Amino acid sequence: MTNIIEVKNLTKKYGDFTAVDGISFEVRAGECFGILGPNGAGKTTTLEMIEGLKIITSGNAILDGHDVAQNARMVKSLIGVQLQSSSFFDGLNLIELLEVFASFYDREVDATQLLESVQLQEKAKNQVKELSGGQKQRLSIAVALVNDPKVLFLDEPTTGLDPQARRNLWELISSINKQGKTIVLTTHYLDEAEVLCDRIAIMDHAKVIALDTTDNLLKMPGLNSAIEFRTNNPVDIENINQLTGVIEARLEEHRYHLTTTSPQQTMTGLFQLAQNQGFILNDVQLRQPNLEDVFLKLTGHGLRE
Amino acid sequence: MYTLRILTIAAIKMFLRNRQAVFFTLFMPIMIMAVFGFIGFDKVPKIDVGYAITAPPTAGTTAFLEQLKKVEAFNLHPGTEMEERKAIEDGDRSVVFLIPYDLVPETADAGTRTITILNNAGDVQQSSVAIGVMNQFLSQANLAATQAPILFNLNVETINANNLRYIDFLLPGIVALAIMQMSIFSVAFVFTDYKEKGILKRLLATPIKPWQFVTANVITRLMVSVVQAIILILVGVFLFKAHVVGSVLLLLLAVILGATMFLGLGFALSGVAKTVEAVPAVANLIVFPMLFLGGTFFALDTMPNWLHTIAKYLPLTYLSDALRQIMTRDASFAMIQHDIYWMLGWAVVMVTLANFTFGFEEKRMG
Repeated sequence: MTNIIEVKNLTKKYGDFTAVDGISFEVRAGECFGILGPNGAGKTTTLEMIEGLKIITSGNAILDGHDVAQNARMVKSLIGVQLQSSSFFDGLNLIELLEVFASFYDREVDATQLLESVQLQEKAKNQVKELSGGQKQRLSIAVALVNDPKVLFLDEPTTGLDPQARRNLWELISSINKQGKTIVLTTHYLDEAEVLCDRIAIMDHAKVIALDTTDNLLKMPGLNSAIEFRTNNPVDIENINQLTGVIEARLEEHRYHLTTTSPQQTMTGLFQLAQNQGFILNDVQLRQPNLEDVFLKLTGHGLRE
Repeated sequence: MYTLRILTIAAIKMFLRNRQAVFFTLFMPIMIMAVFGFIGFDKVPKIDVGYAITAPPTAGTTAFLEQLKKVEAFNLHPGTEMEERKAIEDGDRSVVFLIPYDLVPETADAGTRTITILNNAGDVQQSSVAIGVMNQFLSQANLAATQAPILFNLNVETINANNLRYIDFLLPGIVALAIMQMSIFSVAFVFTDYKEKGILKRLLATPIKPWQFVTANVITRLMVSVVQAIILILVGVFLFKAHVVGSVLLLLLAVILGATMFLGLGFALSGVAKTVEAVPAVANLIVFPMLFLGGTFFALDTMPNWLHTIAKYLPLTYLSDALRQIMTRDASFAMIQHDIYWMLGWAVVMVTLANFTFGFEEKRMG
């Protein structure tokens, strides 16, 4: 797979403050690449430097062979951008808005079809101010697609949306990705990154602290699974502690919580123990490590701090 | 070019669908025109003159009073001395004449009759006119009574002059004011809103050049200013019977130059204002003084000297003056070139200022 974006030692400084500190990564053509991190980690600044919106202090960003700093206009014609606070003109309906934006790229667009692709065909004659939050985000994606871009940049696309609207947007983003468009998105939602992204760069304090496929990140050594269950009769906690792989076991409000490095072996041992001692397991839950655990493991602090 | 065309058409749609902009552009100026047009500053107010007679007047005195009633400038109020004294104290009379009943006696006697005049000190101008008229009346009566020959006579000939009525004076001022309001507010509000909402930043993420976007919006507003001037002049002529003369080309030049200068100011303001809420505060600081000092409602000559000195350099003053010279006097270019050059100067200043303060990205350090 070829790289469509190559970022080397990208740095952004505002006076003494370093917003992005010499980060490097590549984005492969056709993938969905996520930049995950807490607010203020430098995600948006990184994106906006690659988009040609912010001046790069040092380092460089190459998009489809074009150096952003040298040829920003060329890069802008190849990408579609959704900004964090995407508002549009009042006084134009959605069709007119898409046509105006298409004219910025010196092209014409089938606005009706584009609106259909983001399920806004019924709002074609409405103005932006008449749309809901989720609809606005979908419009914003439609606007970002007017130039049939090679790369679509989405900056926190689902922030502030209700769960239903988020899921709708995830489906839309996945379908655009499946049509072969490279997507780069930032998010501070772990579930979003897990669902959408093939590879994830985790940013914290202006630096990339991990970059791998989502699967590999979740298989990172030192990440533990959690098993929870109830039993009909009390069980000696020591017996559970001695099961294979168990790191820690405790009883809380009639519910056993244990963390394990090898969930499968622990589960097998647990069922055997139940068989031997004659108790019944109820409500067994296995929770595999998620990105929150990855992030906690990498930084020692939670994502929302 | 394609981009500029589509964008200009879109900007026109946006302008016309913006109720606030349409209000400022047309309805407000027409309302102002209606208010000031109907008040009719042309009519000289009549002088309130009270009179009281000490007793039932003689036939000669009655005849004298009849003559007095024919004076058009007077609004005569008969009453008792008490009533009229009260009225003048309340400020309802400019002057009160206390007339003896036998001002013109039945039989000729040598006695001198005295008319007492109560003069309203706060209304000297009006009352002195009234006293002057009364004086003239009395001297004529004197002459008649003494049967002296009339040596001098005034022959008054009334000329129907091509007078400048107030609406004729007002209309160019209103057009100038409307162009200023439209240019400043339609840019300052809209572009500050674009900036605040991140729309300008969104535009920066496309290959469009900022000047293209600004140009489309400027073209739109220049067209609006011309249409606006035409509509207001038509309303003035047909609804308020204003008398308009002058060269259409010069009018066009003045309108476009005036609009350019205020559009520049509009952009400069939207560079300064951080939020849409801040726009009226900042804009009115500049617009409000010009509203009264820019020669819209009254001529600059009526101001005290120091104010006149300030007022005559205001951008709106040059636009009002140019439009007024053209529309009321059919001025040639030579007659308004002073205004034109000053407007050019102001336009350069405003546009330069706009270049400093206004940018698509918020200007920041580092």
